[in-house]
Amino acid sequence: FPFSHSAACAAIQKMSRVRVVDNSPLGNTPHHRPAKCIHVYNKTGVGKVGDKILLAIKGQKKKALIIGHKMPGPRMMPRFDSNNVVLIEDNGNPTGTRIKMPVPSSLRRLEGEYSKVLAIAQKFV
Amino acid sequence: MRIEKCYFCSGPVYPGHGMMFVRNDCKVFRFCKSKCHKNFKKKRNPRKVRWTKAFRKSAGKELTVDNSFEFEKRRNEPFKYQRELWNKTVESIKRVEEIKRKRQARFIMNRLKKGKQLEKEEAISEVKKNIHLIRAPHAGKAKMMEDKMVQKLQEDVEMGDDQ
Repeated sequence: FPFSHSAACAAIQKMSRVRVVDNSPLGNTPHHRPAKCIHVYNKTGVGKVGDKILLAIKGQKKKALIIGHKMPGPRMMPRFDSNNVVLIEDNGNPTGTRIKMPVPSSLRRLEGEYSKVLAIAQKFV
Repeated sequence: MRIEKCYFCSGPVYPGHGMMFVRNDCKVFRFCKSKCHKNFKKKRNPRKVRWTKAFRKSAGKELTVDNSFEFEKRRNEPFKYQRELWNKTVESIKRVEEIKRKRQARFIMNRLKKGKQLEKEEAISEVKKNIHLIRAPHAGKAKMMEDKMVQKLQEDVEMGDDQ
């Protein structure tokens, strides 16, 4: 076959399946369905790194922060192999206690709002 | 600020250049240019792609073991800032670079010297094979035979004299 067979490289929007990367119990207990985005808190419905989204996990609604996506963005931002997300409360506090996956250092501009999420990140990239 | 190494070609990635890719096992890959990135996406093994440093080192085409490489190894120990240490380090960086370059160049020159020797031998054997293009095959043979006969006659005469 002469056509390329790489997977779709898109950002995060409604109905996109997403990978929870922190060590929260809600994100890590196995469920027969992956976490899905049901709303992006953005003027456009497309979520990039640093955007807040609403997830449907295990039959519950939970807010989350996008940590990395498969879509190539600005050249100095790393591209990830999966759409990574960190669960968040309504006030911006993280649900988990540790983020093992490398986090883009461009998120440091969110120091005011999501400083607690950055505090639990272990590696910046 | 740190000058990273490209995963594919081992070249330097200066700040503001190249791309970075993070795999799901948390391994980070940095690329200096899209050439390296595209080769990586094609799943090419850098140890088999001839223009990369990885290939050259694994194929013995470049200096691999040397003391001067110890200076570049990453140390995970933070040092307290001391001004003299800093200045000395900057100067020694220049000197170590100089030495390293000379050693690498000498290694490559030594490797290529063998080629010159082989070339010479090949040239000699080629001349020997095609000597008929330079000198006619039976060029001086007639004269040589004459001289030989003359010499033999002289010897016979001498032998006759002795007897």
